[in-house]
Amino acid sequence: MVIKIEHKWGMVVDLDKCTGCNGCVVACQAENNLPINTKDLFMQKRAFEWIRIERYWEGEFPNVKARYLPVMCQHCGNAPCEPVCPVYATYHNDQGLNVQVYNRCVGTRYCINNCTYQVRFFNFWEPTWPERLQNQLNPDVTVRTRGITEKCTFCVQRIRRAEITVERRERTKLNDKTMAARNFMPACVQACPTNALMFGDQNNQEDKIHGYFEELHNHEGHSDSRGYRILEEIGTDPSVIYLKKVDQFKMEHSESHG
Amino acid sequence: MIPKGNIVAATLVGLIMAGITGFILLVIAISWFSNAPFGLANAPAQPIAFPHTAHAGSVDDGGLGMECEFCHRNVTKGDSATVPALQQCWYCHQKVSGGDEEAQAEIDKLVTAYSDGVPVNWERVHRLPDHVRFVHEAHIRHFTMGDTPETQLEVKEVCTVCHGEVAKMEEVQPKQFQSLKMGTCLDCHRKYDVPTDCTICHK
Ligand code: SF4
Ligand code: SF4
Repeated sequence: MVIKIEHKWGMVVDLDKCTGCNGCVVACQAENNLPINTKDLFMQKRAFEWIRIERYWEGEFPNVKARYLPVMCQHCGNAPCEPVCPVYATYHNDQGLNVQVYNRCVGTRYCINNCTYQVRFFNFWEPTWPERLQNQLNPDVTVRTRGITEKCTFCVQRIRRAEITVERRERTKLNDKTMAARNFMPACVQACPTNALMFGDQNNQEDKIHGYFEELHNHEGHSDSRGYRILEEIGTDPSVIYLKKVDQFKMEHSESHG
Repeated sequence: MIPKGNIVAATLVGLIMAGITGFILLVIAISWFSNAPFGLANAPAQPIAFPHTAHAGSVDDGGLGMECEFCHRNVTKGDSATVPALQQCWYCHQKVSGGDEEAQAEIDKLVTAYSDGVPVNWERVHRLPDHVRFVHEAHIRHFTMGDTPETQLEVKEVCTVCHGEVAKMEEVQPKQFQSLKMGTCLDCHRKYDVPTDCTICHK
């Protein structure tokens, strides 16, 4: 028996907590069978990073600040990548996920060119791993072949596994619905040492991320919360909210002036 | 009036063309009606002969009537059904001997392998494409713990839905009871009102 819960997945990234440690990048790499990135691939701009840390420098030395911005697929509600796919290999599912179906993809790369956030990657080569790493491939995730596009999936394999776990426990009366939320956790969220990444269900009133989305949708443009979405002004309706970094110096400064 | 030589040549060309077309049609027909790729093949040779008939076959047919999940233990717990560890075979076969010399020879192979600690390289018979993920546990659960009679089967009855009557097969054949094309999966998912989102199987 399958329980149908109306999920709409979303993520909140607290930039004030992000230290730019790249833990999420490594976790995603391991979880989703991404090939090893070499210097050559970076030079060719063909390295795979489903989540990447963008680094910006602000100010002049010595008053220079590093800013970090983890960017993964924003699972846009109004995704520019979807309508351009001629074979319907990327589509929006009923849980608000932007899905990439590998076995349907024919490699036109239209979606990559149309993605606003540059988070789609094309397999120009057959992915390879060193011999000793082949046994650590995640059995839940397809190993992609040459010629197809891939991107962050919000770890859909973990979502599905969690659903099955919840269902099984439901049957055997070991679980109640409240425990369900704790089972859903993408690799990057699990790996983040400062809990800067939060994942959850936008539709679930009790979910910790629900409030941020509520706030954003209710007071569009004039919210006092730190939440914003990157490039939302072009109308992609992303499912990832970023919380602004709190600048201590500026705060003290403005406070002292009343 | 066409010269005679031309008629012979034309007939020859025609015959060759017909032969080629026929061959192509035959290949298409075989691949269409058989399992993925060319499922008309016979069962692969296993390092140790394991007759499912003797173990899982019903007592009337001279088997022991063992349940599928007695050996394929993970089938009610996880994704794959799994082949049991040698220790599990040995646990019974340290006492249970084969009926005749031939069977005993196979059992001896097993006992030697176990006592030498050499793993047995069983040949895999069934394999889904790499872009499909199938969870045995969820399917068994659906068919054994449902609310209607057709979803309150016993585990071994559920296995036969796709795998056929393995208990009656001396060797497990690559050809399954269901074609296991995507349509087969979808038909059943629709019938029982289970989600048919791509990411249920492809992830
Ligand atoms: S971030 Fe890019 S890949 Fe992800 S849904 Fe939006 S347009 Fe598509
Ligand atoms: S949600 Fe999963 S696939 Fe997406 S960036 Fe995080 S770890 Fe990678």
